[in-house]
Amino acid sequence: MSSEPLGYDAPPRWGWIASPMWAIEQAYGRARNKDAAVDHARVRIFFVLAIFFAAFAFLAFGATRAALFSDAGDRGAYKPLYDTARADLVDRNGRLLAADLLHYGLYVDPREIWNADEIRKALRTELPQIEAHRLERALAGKKRAYVLGSLTPAVRNRVNALGLPGVTFEPEEHRAYPLGATAAHVIGFADPAGVGLAGAERAFNDEIRARSDSGKPVALSIDLRIQGALEDELERAAIKHQVKGAVGIVTNVQTGEILGLASYPDFDPNDPGASSADAQVNRAGSTVFEMGSTFKAFTVAAGLDAGVATPQSRFDATKPFKLGYRTIHDYHAARKVLTLVEVFQHSSNIGTAKLGVALGPERLRHYFDVLGLTKPAKVELVESARPLTPKVWNEDAVASTSFGHGINVTPLALSRAMGALLNGGRTIPLTLLKRDPGYRPDGVQALSPQTSQQMLYMMRANVTGGSGGSADAPGLRVGGKTGTGEKYDPSIRGYSHSKQVSSFAAVFPTSGAPSDTRYFVLILMDEPKPTKDTYGYSTGGWTAAPAAGRTIDRIAPFLGVARDMTPFDPFASPETAKVEDGR
Amino acid sequence: MRVLDWKVRGFRLVDLVALGLLIVLMLGVYLAKTLAGRERGEIARVEKQISQERQRVRLLEAEVAHLEAPARIERLSVDYLGMAPPVAAREIAPQALAEHAVEEPPKRKETTP
Repeated sequence: MSSEPLGYDAPPRWGWIASPMWAIEQAYGRARNKDAAVDHARVRIFFVLAIFFAAFAFLAFGATRAALFSDAGDRGAYKPLYDTARADLVDRNGRLLAADLLHYGLYVDPREIWNADEIRKALRTELPQIEAHRLERALAGKKRAYVLGSLTPAVRNRVNALGLPGVTFEPEEHRAYPLGATAAHVIGFADPAGVGLAGAERAFNDEIRARSDSGKPVALSIDLRIQGALEDELERAAIKHQVKGAVGIVTNVQTGEILGLASYPDFDPNDPGASSADAQVNRAGSTVFEMGSTFKAFTVAAGLDAGVATPQSRFDATKPFKLGYRTIHDYHAARKVLTLVEVFQHSSNIGTAKLGVALGPERLRHYFDVLGLTKPAKVELVESARPLTPKVWNEDAVASTSFGHGINVTPLALSRAMGALLNGGRTIPLTLLKRDPGYRPDGVQALSPQTSQQMLYMMRANVTGGSGGSADAPGLRVGGKTGTGEKYDPSIRGYSHSKQVSSFAAVFPTSGAPSDTRYFVLILMDEPKPTKDTYGYSTGGWTAAPAAGRTIDRIAPFLGVARDMTPFDPFASPETAKVEDGR
Repeated sequence: MRVLDWKVRGFRLVDLVALGLLIVLMLGVYLAKTLAGRERGEIARVEKQISQERQRVRLLEAEVAHLEAPARIERLSVDYLGMAPPVAAREIAPQALAEHAVEEPPKRKETTP
């Protein structure tokens, strides 16, 4: 065939296709000459077959490709069904705190019901929580209506087993908090539409919703073991002292991570409406308190950092200190000349006020500013409240604020500022998100590392020979400062002697370099009542310090802080005898 | 005789081959679609099963979290086992265990004379 001459001059590269086509033409030409009518039909049949062949070849290719390379079943990750979906919340060790779980909504279709009384009776017996008016409206309506949501699969099965006509279910996502009241104020809660309303649920709302597709949880900074111990000790102390409210906070002072945060009373986020509004208040972030003597730590740190005083500087506390129209007394007067360490240990108002005056209003305010005490605590929680600060920073403001009066801050703001005193002098933001090991956030260098080191020693000295003795935990080198602030009582237009805010700000371990990892623990009680074993006192040293000590004793193993029984008391001297009132 | 002119029982061979190929293709498409449909059905069934299992796993995870809640564990351990947080004196680091291990002197066998 290839030896025959072609009918036209085809380019050589088309020869492989032109030759057979020309041969077909010739074949049909010969056939046409023999029997043209038959050949016309054959040609048509041939072309029809060719078209069908091409069409089915195309379909076969598509069908085979669809069968072999389809992406059906390639959805390995769980994908929530609805836009309200939220990612899981877990603690720093991956333990579940909040999750979307499959629940069911109950629907009633009156068109399929012929005995409404029977349905009404059966549903109200099986589901007592059903709202009567909603059920009546659905039964009296003309179309299928939603009656009740958030039903567990077990409840759905129970109702299904009744075989009620016109009663059906639709799946729906429901936010569940399996730990109940544990860490309720940290986790917060979300509404049925999938919008976070409080706590981490609100603070990280966008991230939680964005991650629902990937199935990756949002890891919070809290450690459930620490949270559990903190809540337990706080609740125990709160019940013992019949407090109005209480707060417990544990932070890592180098990373700013909040490892535990408890607010008493608590609530169940699965049913926040069942709790009072007071129980839902996160007192750690949204309530401001006059902290009292805990603030002396800031004044002393400012005095040391500004070079106004050294730990051995002496202050005359033999008699009350008159400043303007005010006379400042010591709660438990030492009536002697005190070193700065002793001022701290005895929690001397006179000594601290004199140090504050030496600093001056501008410098004291500057230190309060850089420590973050004059602004809302830098933390993701939207509940972080503004502090109440003096309108004018004059000598009177100095006298008050130097020992924690006339300035109200949140426990979170106090924790953040205390962290700067104990971490080498950096004011860093607090965070509720888990950070990688070795994380060091950017911060403001508020104090020198040397001042921080001195404060660590001073706080340790306050526990070994001062008002915080009951917070000591064997071998954990606990340091701290007690605080007792009298509350303003509008009914008497003055400070009440019976209503106090008692606190203990603790740190452990105090040994090591300022840049070492250590932990801050705050226990605060609002209006604690004295008990027999506190000899009528309700001050921080008698109420909050023991709870802080017990908490530290319990959480230290979780944090990997080993006990070291080596004596640590660099400022011990006969003059620093333990004071009895614990103020 | 040309290949295109070959006939079998009056039908041109080329037409018969084309018809055979067409039938094979039709059958192929039918089988491919049928098998694919069956596979899709199977995949959908497995997917549904996976989804249900995932839901069950999540429910179980939530239940475990509830059962392991610190407050609950503590209440049970105190109420039923009388347990309490260990005191410092009862704690010991693993590396210090050797120091505290008391070696019992080997017992001598008493023999009668």
